[in-house]
Amino acid sequence: MSQLTESHTPAPPTPPAPPSRVDGEPRNDRPIRQRRIAPEMVAELGGSAVSALAMVWLVFNLSGVSAPLGFGFCWLAAFLTVYGLLCWRRHGVVAMKDRLATVAIWVGALLAFIPLVAVISYVVLKGARAVFSDFPHFFYADFSNYTLSAPTSAVGAGAAIVGTVEQVGLATIITVPLGMLTATYVVDHRNFFSRVVSHVVDAMSGSPAIIAGLFVYLLWVVPHHQTGKSGLAAALALSVMMLPIVTRAAQEVIAIVPGSLREASLALGSPQWRSVLRVILPTARVGLVTAVILGVARIAGETAPVLFVAGGSPNYNWNPFSGQQDDLPLRVYQMIFQAGGNARNDAWGVSFVLVLVVLTLFLLARLIGASGPGRSLAPWRVLRRGPQRSGR
Amino acid sequence: MTTIDRLQARDTGDPSPPFGEPGVGTEPSSLLATNVSAWFGNNKVLERVSLSMEPGKVTALIGPSGCGKSTFLRILNRMHELIPSAALAGSVVLDGVDVYGPELRVTETRLRIGMVFQRANPFPSMTIAQNVLSGLRLSGTKVANPDALVQECLERAGLWRETRNRLNESGAALSGGQLQRLCIARALAVRPRVLLMDEPCSALDPISTSVIEDTIRELCTDVTIVVVTHNMQQAQRVSHNCALFLVDGEGMPGHIVETGPTDQVFNDPVDPRTSDYVHGRFG
Repeated sequence: MSQLTESHTPAPPTPPAPPSRVDGEPRNDRPIRQRRIAPEMVAELGGSAVSALAMVWLVFNLSGVSAPLGFGFCWLAAFLTVYGLLCWRRHGVVAMKDRLATVAIWVGALLAFIPLVAVISYVVLKGARAVFSDFPHFFYADFSNYTLSAPTSAVGAGAAIVGTVEQVGLATIITVPLGMLTATYVVDHRNFFSRVVSHVVDAMSGSPAIIAGLFVYLLWVVPHHQTGKSGLAAALALSVMMLPIVTRAAQEVIAIVPGSLREASLALGSPQWRSVLRVILPTARVGLVTAVILGVARIAGETAPVLFVAGGSPNYNWNPFSGQQDDLPLRVYQMIFQAGGNARNDAWGVSFVLVLVVLTLFLLARLIGASGPGRSLAPWRVLRRGPQRSGR
Repeated sequence: MTTIDRLQARDTGDPSPPFGEPGVGTEPSSLLATNVSAWFGNNKVLERVSLSMEPGKVTALIGPSGCGKSTFLRILNRMHELIPSAALAGSVVLDGVDVYGPELRVTETRLRIGMVFQRANPFPSMTIAQNVLSGLRLSGTKVANPDALVQECLERAGLWRETRNRLNESGAALSGGQLQRLCIARALAVRPRVLLMDEPCSALDPISTSVIEDTIRELCTDVTIVVVTHNMQQAQRVSHNCALFLVDGEGMPGHIVETGPTDQVFNDPVDPRTSDYVHGRFG
């Protein structure tokens, strides 16, 4: 951001008050805001953008080319050229480099931001219509009424929401203790085996999601024949995905607990397990909760692991331990391949619900992440408190 | 006899027996180190150090940096072995019991021989009161009247007046000196027989230092204290006995040059190197 300061050379220090000045008279100590955006800069940027636009528009019109993407790129290139020349003439070559670099970084950030916003907003636009056309029907109805000609208002994501919540919940129950224990072990014991475990965790987090599904399919679903496909099988597959995420994140969080606290607890005559349970994990508490929620948010949207182990079902199935169960990503996947007028709309609706679930979880993670040590993690407290105050 | 009984006994005026259960006694113990050597990897850092720490006395370990004072201190309550490459030889005897022998478990040893570190390290996830009681929770000791124990320990550490109204707040708002006194209170709550202090005042201002020195002088009737310090005046002010550690040369292990009553070490040393060191004519 130094370019913002460039046009404002720092004012020399306020000269000492002349001796004739009466005490108590206000001195010249107006604050100098180095980072203020000067109108001159806005004019330069805007002028360059407009002139570049006019130039490129003229060229494209005269040559009769119609290419929106190419137009955008040419405009960007022309803008950078014009702006660079302008800065060079007005402020010299150093300022030009500085400002061009700043503009390039901003443009890059914006370009990277576009697809993110586009994906979310597209899902919201397409899905909101399906979801809110008959609110809140879509949140509790299931797909048992689905026919080729059924309108979106006849179906709903209720069964899939139940499935996702139960499967992700089970996966969390399985994963959190395992992940915490593994992370504690890897951080506390530096030996050959712990390094092996650490590398395996890293390798697991990079393994393709479909492999997790295949693994559970062959080890759980196939041996159980009829009852194999169930919410539990899906939870197992999701656990395989979630375990490395939670372990890795927990490892990072536990590793930054200062060694002096570990020593202090041991010096008080604590066995190691109590030191971990009462000092290290509570100290890392906020980070651990964030790690778990990020893991949950990550697997809530996984399709591949549940693809052939959950089975899918248009009806409500509250029992994850028997019978096929639906979940949100699986429902989206199935509706996309359904024939029928409204199937796509239904899929958008379910996608919207899925995004809603994941966003809620991320929001929760951010809120909890903002709470400091010694503070309650109860959601109502966190919400009332808002972001962390500054200071010690 | 548990802590609770002891507290109740004190309240009702019953005399406490001189020795209680491990870790809950209030009588100071004697600590005797014999021919202690220590290594980090293949690097020998301590050479045959023998030192007797008398019960109810303050023993100061002085000497330049890197001469093994802290290592020696950590050997006394078996913190040395937490460093993976560490090794040691010799024996440390607490009231006639070898702390490295089979009679005492390592957790028991550390319960009886408490430690205060150079940098205050209270537990950030706990309140002030929880910090004081953390040793009991961590060692699995029950206490019937925790409030009384918190008050007693904070009083002994000289922190009660400053914290009495915010016992259930996080300790994060305390100053450096207060945090160090909180750590002392925490170490006292498990009623150790010996308290090891590793440069407890090196990060503190003179006022906090003097408060902690007062605390040390008051404590030494109940607890045997071993304190590492770089401050000659402090050693003179607080200690009864003194031991000077020195290193002969680069890469050589540290060893004790002279031990004895503080007055004698400072005013009438036997070894000329001691005289040089305590008068600042050294290094």
